[in-house]
Formats: sequence, C-alpha cells, structure tokens
Amino acid sequence: MPDLAKETVPAPSSKPLEISQLRRVVDPASLGFKTTDELQPVTGLIGQDRALKAIQFGANIKSHDFNVFVLGPPASGKSTAVRAHLGPKAAEATPPADWVYVYNYETPNRPKALKLPHGRAKALAKGMIAALDELRSVLPARFESEDYQVRRRAIDEQFRSGNEEALEGLNKKAQSQNIALLRTPTGFAMAPMHEGKVVKPEVFNALPEAMRKDVENKIAALEKELAAILERLPSSDKRRRTLLSELNEEVAKAAIRDALSDLHASISDIPDAATYVEAAGHDMVRNVALFLSTGEEENAIVRRPVDSAQDPRFRRYLVNTMATEPALGQTGTEGAPLIEEDNPTFGNIVGRVEHFAQMGTLVTDFLLIKPGALHKANGGYLMLDARRLLLSPFAWEALKRAIKAREIRIEQPSETTGLISTQTLDPDPIPLDVKVVLFGDRELYYLLAAHDPDFTRIFKVQADFDDTINRSSENDTSYARLIASVVKEHSLKPLDASAVARVIDEGARLANDREKLSIELGRISDIVREADYWSSEAQRKITSRQDVVRAIDEQIQRVDRLRDRGQEVMERGIVLVDTEGAKVGQVNGLSVLQLGSFAFGRPTRITARVRLGAGRVTDIEREVKLGGPLHSKGVMILWGFLAGRYALDGPLAMAASLVFEQSYGGVDGDSASSTELYALLSALADIPIKQSLAVTGSVNQHGEVQAIGGVNEKIEGFFDICRSRGLKKGQGVLIPQSNVQHLMLREDVVEAVKAGQFAVYPVGTIDEGIEILTGVKAGERGTNGQFPAGTINRLVEDKLKSFAARGRGYAKAIAAADGDGA
Amino acid sequence: MIAHVAESGEDRGRVVLHVGTGDPHVIAVEAALRVARAFGSEIESLFVEDEQLFDCAAYAFAREIPLSGSRSRPLSRDDLMRSLHFAAQGARRRIEELARKAEVPLRCTIVRDESTRALSIACAERGPWNVVALSEPFKAANGPLLKQLLNEVVGTTGFVLVGPRAKRVAGPVVVAVESTDYLPEMLRAAEKLAALDESGIVLLLIASDQDHLDRIDAETRLVVEAHPNMRIAWAALSHGASAVIAETLRRLHAGTVICRFGGLVVSDEEDLRPLAAALECPLLLVR
Repeated sequence: MPDLAKETVPAPSSKPLEISQLRRVVDPASLGFKTTDELQPVTGLIGQDRALKAIQFGANIKSHDFNVFVLGPPASGKSTAVRAHLGPKAAEATPPADWVYVYNYETPNRPKALKLPHGRAKALAKGMIAALDELRSVLPARFESEDYQVRRRAIDEQFRSGNEEALEGLNKKAQSQNIALLRTPTGFAMAPMHEGKVVKPEVFNALPEAMRKDVENKIAALEKELAAILERLPSSDKRRRTLLSELNEEVAKAAIRDALSDLHASISDIPDAATYVEAAGHDMVRNVALFLSTGEEENAIVRRPVDSAQDPRFRRYLVNTMATEPALGQTGTEGAPLIEEDNPTFGNIVGRVEHFAQMGTLVTDFLLIKPGALHKANGGYLMLDARRLLLSPFAWEALKRAIKAREIRIEQPSETTGLISTQTLDPDPIPLDVKVVLFGDRELYYLLAAHDPDFTRIFKVQADFDDTINRSSENDTSYARLIASVVKEHSLKPLDASAVARVIDEGARLANDREKLSIELGRISDIVREADYWSSEAQRKITSRQDVVRAIDEQIQRVDRLRDRGQEVMERGIVLVDTEGAKVGQVNGLSVLQLGSFAFGRPTRITARVRLGAGRVTDIEREVKLGGPLHSKGVMILWGFLAGRYALDGPLAMAASLVFEQSYGGVDGDSASSTELYALLSALADIPIKQSLAVTGSVNQHGEVQAIGGVNEKIEGFFDICRSRGLKKGQGVLIPQSNVQHLMLREDVVEAVKAGQFAVYPVGTIDEGIEILTGVKAGERGTNGQFPAGTINRLVEDKLKSFAARGRGYAKAIAAADGDGA
Repeated sequence: MIAHVAESGEDRGRVVLHVGTGDPHVIAVEAALRVARAFGSEIESLFVEDEQLFDCAAYAFAREIPLSGSRSRPLSRDDLMRSLHFAAQGARRRIEELARKAEVPLRCTIVRDESTRALSIACAERGPWNVVALSEPFKAANGPLLKQLLNEVVGTTGFVLVGPRAKRVAGPVVVAVESTDYLPEMLRAAEKLAALDESGIVLLLIASDQDHLDRIDAETRLVVEAHPNMRIAWAALSHGASAVIAETLRRLHAGTVICRFGGLVVSDEEDLRPLAAALECPLLLVR
C-alpha cells in the first residue's frame, strides 16, 4: 500500500476490461444449422484468396521457370488446397505423351528414349513381348523343320566331306606309295610303310640310298600336299559359316518379319517407334541363336522361364516404360499427372540406374533405369516438400538442373560430383515439361531467396498462405464448413452447432487474436477427431460442445506436466512469487514458455535496486549472458525513458540493477521492459508495488506501453497461481491496451473476472500502469516545469536530483582533495 | 551279343574308353559314362600312345605338319613325348571332370602300343564283359576299322561310337531290331539305359520287305508284351537302306541307338557316310 507518510497523491481508480472484451464467443444459434450434416463441406481452404490466385497463376502460365513455392505455416492445409486446386485442372488437361527407354542396338550403353502418344507405351511393350513369345516357339520349329535341316546338312556335308575326302584321298595316295599318314597330338607326320606298318628306321636305313632318297622325296611331296589341304581348311570353314549364316538369316528373317508385322502396323504412325522395331527385328535376325534351344538346355533340369519378359536372353528386346501417372485421386489414366513425392531423394527425383550383382560384378542395362518423380509428373504437376528436398543430398541441385535444362538426364550422384568415373549407362535425356510446386515455411523461402540465386529465377511464383483469416459471420460459416469437411474426410460423427462454435472459439485462441481465426487445419482436425473420440466414449451420436471442451482439456493435460511442476514450486515457496501485499522495487513479470505446440505463461519476480552512480542500468541477465539482444534493447530503452523524462538538464547520477529473480535460463524479448521500468520507478520513488498484480508489455522511450505476444497465456499463467493460492479481490494483470484485441482467455478466467475475483487492466502508458500498481498518481509536469508534489514522477525526479547533488558534492570533495595533495 | 557289362568290383570287365591323339569328343565320353552308370560299371580311360609315331620320329627327315598346315617342323622323339604327355594330361582332366559329375569310378591308363592291340590287351586283362568306347567320332571311311576292331578285340561285348554330328545323349533309347534273336538282351540293355533318366524306349523294326517286317513285329510284341514306356516304329526298306535308316534315327531324336554290327544299320561292308551325316546320338554297337 502507498506510504502515506510520504504525502502521496492517490491515483484515480482504474477501470478493468469488460467481460465481453476478454473472450469473443460464437453464438451457436447464429450459425444457422443444427449439425454439420447440414453443411456443404468446403474443399481446399478458406480465406486464402491471395495464395490461391498465385497458385492458379503459376499453374496456368506456360513458362518453365514459373514454378510455385507455397509458403506458410506447417499443417495449414497447403498441400490439401493445392491438390484440390490442381487435381481437377490436371484431370481436365490433355494427357502427356508416354516415354519409354529401349535398347540402343548401335551404342548399347546409350539407351534410346522414345516418345509415344499417350497410352501407346504399354501397347508397344506388350507387342514386343507377344512377338518374343511367338518367336520362341516359331523360330525353333523353323530351324528344326525338315526344310532347314536338309539344307543345313547339305552345306555341312558339302564342306565336311570335302575336307574329309581331301584328307582321305591324300591318305590313300600315301598308302599307295607305301607312306603312312600318322596323327600326332598337334598335327600330322609321315613315314615309310610296309604292310600297313611304319618301317623301323634300322630296316629303312639298310635300303639302297637311291630307294631311300626316292621315299624321302615322296614324303616331302606328300607333306606339301597335306600342308596345302590343311591351309585350305580355315577358309573353307569360313565359307561354310557364311553359307550357314545366310541360310539362318533367310529362315529367321521370314519368321521375325511375320511375328513383328502386327506390331509394326500398329505403330506405323510413330516413325521413331517404327524405326526401333525395325532395328530390333534386324538384331533378332543377327542373334537368332538366342531363340534356339541348345543341347545344354535340353538336358537342363530347370527350364527357361515361360514368360519372355522374365527371360534374360530377351532383355534387349523389352521396353522400359517411364510411367505417366493420372492425377491424384483419379482412377483412370486420362488427364495430366499430379504427383506428390514424399521422399524426394536424388534418385526418386531424376530417376536412377540400378545394378545387380553378377559373378561378383555390378552390371546394369536399360531395363534397370527406374523413373523418378520428374518422369512420372512430366506433362503435369509435381508437389514436393522443400525441407525434405533440401535435406536429401544432391536432390535440390538435380531438380534445379532439370528445370533449367528442361530435360531429365539420369546420372549417378557420383557422376555429378565427378568423384568416381565408372562406365555405366548414359540414357538419352527426356524433354521435361512440368510445373513444380514446392511447399515450405516462410523462413525457408527467404533463406533460399537470399542464398540461392537460382531459386528466384526458377520459382517465380510465391503463394503465401496466411496463418489466420479475419473473423466475420461469413468466415465463421466457412469455418463451420471446413469443420464439416474434416468430419466427412475422416468419417466422423456430426458436430452440433454448439460444438462447432466451440471449435471456432478455439480457432481464435489458436490465432492468439479475437479478431482472427487460425487456419492451422492440422490442429483443428485433431480437435475435431479427438472430440469425436470422446463423444464415442460417452456413447453420443452427435459430437457436442462438451466433447470439444474435453478434447481441448485432454490435449492440454497430456502436455502440461512442466506447467504443473512450475506451479507446484511456486505454491511450495521454492520459487518466490508474491500474489498479495506490496513491495518496493519488486514486480510480477510474465513470460511464456513454448514446449512444442503447447505454450503457457509463468509469473517471474523482477526486482530493481537503485543508488547513486555514474548513470548506468545494470541488466544482470545481460551481464551473465542470459539475456538475449531484444531483452537488452528493452533495458536500454528504459535508460532513454528515464533520461528523457527526468534528467533533461542534469546528470542522471544513478546506478540501478535489474534482475529476473530465480531465472536460470535465457531471457529474451522486450515484453518485460515495462515491468522492469515499473520496478525501477518504484525503487526510485520508494513507493511499493501491489504484488496482487502482474504486468506485461514493452515500452518505448516516450513511456508508451506496446503490444506483446502470448498475452492470453501470460494472463492465464498468473491467474493459475492466484487460483491455486485462493483468488482474492484485487488480483489481476496489466496488459498493453493494444493487446486487448488479442484476448481469447480461458472460460475459467472469464468466470473469475465475472465473479469479481480477477481483473485485466488495459494500459496505454507507463503513467497509467504505475498508478494502478502503486495507487499513487503519476503526475504531469506543470507549467512551472515541476511534477506535482506527492506524485510518482515527482518522487522519482526528486530522488534523481538528490543523487545528482550528492554526486556533485562527491566530485568537489575529490577535486579539493586532489588540489590539497598538489 | 551283349548280355552283361561287369559291375564295379566284379573284376570281369568294365567300360574301356579309348583315347587317341585327337581331342576326346564330349558326347563320346558322356555316352561311355552313361553305359557305365547304366550297368553300375567302372570306366577305364586308355590313352594310347601310338608306337608307330615313335618309329616315325626316329627318322632324320621326319617332320610334323601342324593342323594349321603352315610351318612344318622336324619331329623329334623328345618333342613327341612331351606333346603326347600334355595331350594325355589334358584328356585325363576333361574325362575326370565328366566322370566326377556322373559319379562313375574312373581309372586312367597310358600305354604305348598300336591302338587295336592296346584295346585287345586291355579287354583281355579283365574280360570278358567289357564295352569299348571310342573317344573320337568315327569317319565315313571307318567301316573297315570297325570290322577290324570287332574281329580283333575279343574281350568286348560291344562298342560305343559317336559320329561327327553327335550333339546329345538325352532322349529315347532306340533299339534297331532286325531280328528277334537277340531282342531280349538288347531290350535289357535299353531298359538299363532308359532307366537313367526315365526316357522312353523305341523299338525300330527294320526289314527289307513287308513280310519280314510283319513277322518281326509279331515276334517283338510277344517279347515285350505291354510295356508302359515303350513304343514300336517301323522301317521297311527296299533300297538305300543305310541312308533311310540314318534319317529315321535322326527323326526319332534318339538319345542312344542300340544295333548290331553287320546288319542294315551298320553293315560290315559299306562305308559309314549316311550314318556319319545323320546320327546325332551315340551308337551302342553290339556283336
């Protein structure tokens, strides 16, 4: 209570806020329906005209660099809205062309990309498999046919018997001359023979020399003939192979032409595909052996697969379809694709070339090219979460490259970094025509815009989603429809009007603004679904207000362990917070703690001590590095206020210290600056402050109290500690006038105010605040330049003047002492 | 006539695989191994170093003309011994691998002798129930050689041969029946071979006229009665018998053909040209 001995001027009584100003509630009757069953669910979002216009613009503009970045808070229904908007648009659009990869018969490591009219890729793939299936049975039959066998044997015999006969002829000729032709492991040798046996050398040497010479000459001549025959064998074999190849080609060509004729006719209007099928046909002729069973195969226990598509021999003739997808939610294949990639890794974006192990080596082919999201979305829309994209190594750069180059080029990350160079596939790039929609929060958007010069060049459309919408009767109705759509989407029980009204109230509370509604769809949806659960528990067929209240209370109860602990230590006197009485230089400040999605307020004792000094306010929080920059800024503003109001023409010979008592963590923000100023003024004026009140608000150098955040939680934080000790008349909270519009206080707080047990005071200036806190008039400077006696300002000014005078006295004494010394 | 091939451990015969200086044909080795498996016999690989080659190498003017025909070189005894040694090792390694897969006991022997005499001695050592398999495909002109072998190598009940077009051992066992005198024994051998992979048996009845064919057919049916895995085919021949039979055998896709030497399939006079051109499977030639 004010110290009457100081002869103070009492302040006029202040008027707390009316009940209606503490919480804005929706009247269920004003909603105009009984249950949400009567409402038409709303698709997409409400009150996001600006963002939706931007999306529409981005979707419609044809330029490749006008991609869209949708920014807004998480769980605000951004992707739902974009899907709802782009889905029908994609469904109505012309389906894009199909793309396939096929074997490149000229350069096998560069698979060819073929463009086909929409829906024709599968037909091509199936057509090739059908042709292979046919050829697998037709070709072996053709090559087993009598016609082929007879012709082949004729060729074989022509050469085999020719060679054999030449050798046999030579053998006979040699025998007729009594020369033996012998087979050695690596060739042939000749020797004199008698009666079919080689003549022993000792016998031969006993012959007359002329005879021996004659035999040697015969052998030499025969050896020459033999060498000539043997030398002819390779060229003869080559000729045989050529004739066999020609025969094989002739037989295979007819069968392959027949097998591919239907496919060829069906794609004759697509020149590239027709050329490919022709090339495949030529390759089949060249490699007809692939289709023919071998001797080993006949004996094999495990037969070749029945399905040609699974037979490794025929992989080179298969078609790898780079799928085009229908719009999300569409069941058919019509329309442009609308793809949402939840895991935007490098490979999932641009596709990848997979490998499999074979004989200890990693091998690959064009069938192992796997499409990425860009392939699937080509010709349509691709939705990606920006944060996930940026967290995936190489993915962001790959996406940018593809958009800028307007083509999808499949590379391995190791290739793009240039660290490892291995021979792999180099598939043809596929032209890209896609609209990319990135989702992210604002911070991410501005970071990218600031640090990545490419970003704003290729994401030119910014669709900025508001966190809140304005509160109006129309928007209340729209909000109710939004709730109805949640009910429909999750097949919940209907909500009655009172339940919807309560959810709308909670929407305002989530917005922290009585004039706004939060469109944080995720949170709203959670409340509605939990209310449905509690309604089921209570065996109700319609979800009521009671269930919504329970859902909200239960949500809070699940996460408020720390709040309870904080309150407990105050109740037990471990953390000192007074809620009654009055003390000089001590005020109840209010802070907000955010734990995940749950925020709560907590009172903190703030104290100030003053003394004669050299003009310095010591912020203890800053000194020990627990104060953040905004907090320090607030404290420095106090100095500006004090100097400007009380020491315009004299020194501010004061030293003060400010501290958040029992605060062991970091403090930031300037919402306690007015509180600190009240503590200082109380200490300077030596006038006690009512401890039944708590204060929040920042202040400027002119002493105007400014808006702060978390006003509801702060009021409730002080209310809770007062209630736990027993509510007493006179307890309440001072808030900035400009925060009144944000009030959406809990119903129990409103009830206490209604009962006169608690009050909320709007404050526009420091003078208004100090009057409520001390009960002493603040006082205005009169025409004589003086504050009226007995006012807070006068007391403060007098104290400061006395400090200055005493300071001057000390200075003179020191100067005199110095002079004496000299 | 083949009645028996000595079982492993019986010590009264086995399959003797003749390996010469040429590369052993894989189908020829597999055919020999099948016969060994069918009769539970063991196999002896007999690598014959033709002793006439050493007489030849003793001549100062002896030269070896390589298979490519170019650059003939003097043939020395040392060079010959070395190349024969390597050829024997190479052949042994290949045969051992196939025998291991077929799980047939194998013994390898190297002898320096004339081929027919080496086989005669080998068969006489552990007679009388041997089967001789030739590892090199027969040639069109080998008819007389076969006759000589059958005459001189007495300790054998049959020969396993392959032609130059041999490409399989799997398929039905075809028994060429020209007379029913030896049918039960031939059938027994066919059943043993067919039991290896449960392939069927085809009795190919061959006669030079229809009457003879009818008689063989009737007698054959008495012998075989109802056999679930056996069928009968016919070939009535008037002229060009060996060529027609060779083509018939090819069309039957036989895995093994069993026939008698000196009949219409393999006569003791004609050359083997038709058979060499058409036969795609091994031939088990019995006396």
